[in-house]
Amino acid sequence: MPNLYLLLAQAAPAAGEAATSKNPIVPEVNELIYSILAFAVLIVLFIKFGYPPIKKAMEDRTERIRTDLDKAESAKTDAESILEEYRKQLADAKGESNRIIDEARQQAEKVKADLLDNANKEVAGLKAKATEDIETARNAALASLQSSVASIAIELAEKVVERNLDRDTNQRLIDSFISKVGS
Amino acid sequence: MAEDRIDSYGAALFQVAQAEQDLARVEDELFTVANRVRSNDALRQALTDQSLPVELRQGIVEDLLGGRASPTTTNLVSMIVGAGRAKDIGAIIERFLELSAGSRSETLAEVTSATPLDTDQQQRLAAALSKRFGHHVSLKVTVDPSIRGGLIAQVGDTVIDGSVRTRLEQLKTQLQESR
Repeated sequence: MPNLYLLLAQAAPAAGEAATSKNPIVPEVNELIYSILAFAVLIVLFIKFGYPPIKKAMEDRTERIRTDLDKAESAKTDAESILEEYRKQLADAKGESNRIIDEARQQAEKVKADLLDNANKEVAGLKAKATEDIETARNAALASLQSSVASIAIELAEKVVERNLDRDTNQRLIDSFISKVGS
Repeated sequence: MAEDRIDSYGAALFQVAQAEQDLARVEDELFTVANRVRSNDALRQALTDQSLPVELRQGIVEDLLGGRASPTTTNLVSMIVGAGRAKDIGAIIERFLELSAGSRSETLAEVTSATPLDTDQQQRLAAALSKRFGHHVSLKVTVDPSIRGGLIAQVGDTVIDGSVRTRLEQLKTQLQESR
């Protein structure tokens, strides 16, 4: 820093002399004007031709980022929707599986009840048939016994009749018949 | 039609017997013939067998009745057999007997007995049947030991059964039906 002041101090007499001699550091006025004009032209050119592309690039980038953000948001929303859908489907599947299990259980209960009912009916039918068979056999035995008893009784009666139906008895039967016919 | 034919044959027999003035004997003999044919299966089959020549069947009649029955009876039975009506001979003779009894204003009673009936029993039975049916009844008695005892009397369609066989059958039926 002191060196800078020293240089400026040394330069001051030089500037004072500039009125008389040229300062190598301070540009000429016209050079300055030209420089300023050139800078202004440069600025204008920059504003005119350089800035819009940069601005557009920035805007494009901003827009791309915004689009990406929107897409990401949309993807997130979609993912959440799909997740929700999956959850719903999972819940439905669970409900369906529970329903199927309940139906299967009810069907099994019904099959069990039907089997029991059929078995009970079959047992009742067999029991009724056995009772009927017993009754039929009993009636047949009774009928056979009755027939045998009747046959034996008739045979005995015939033997008694043969033994006792002599001529006198037959004559009495004939006389009795004649009396009944005429009465 | 069969009834008409039987009536016609019965009437023919009656007219022939009446013309021969041998009605009472022919009645008895035809009644006996009817009973024999009814009770003898072999005889009935021989007389009704259409495969046998008519002459042979009539020869059987001649052998059975010739010399034992009157010529009128023999000829009448032979005529029935020769006409191929032996299967109806029982009905024809029954119709003849009805006509014959009717000619005397009598009704025929066919009586079946296990033993022969004496004259007194026949008279008392005829009187009893006449009283029951309201007109004079003449008897034709058949002896059939298979009825075991008692009597069976048939007058027209009415049968009065007092036989021991029927009573035993009724007893058997009652015993079988009673439970």
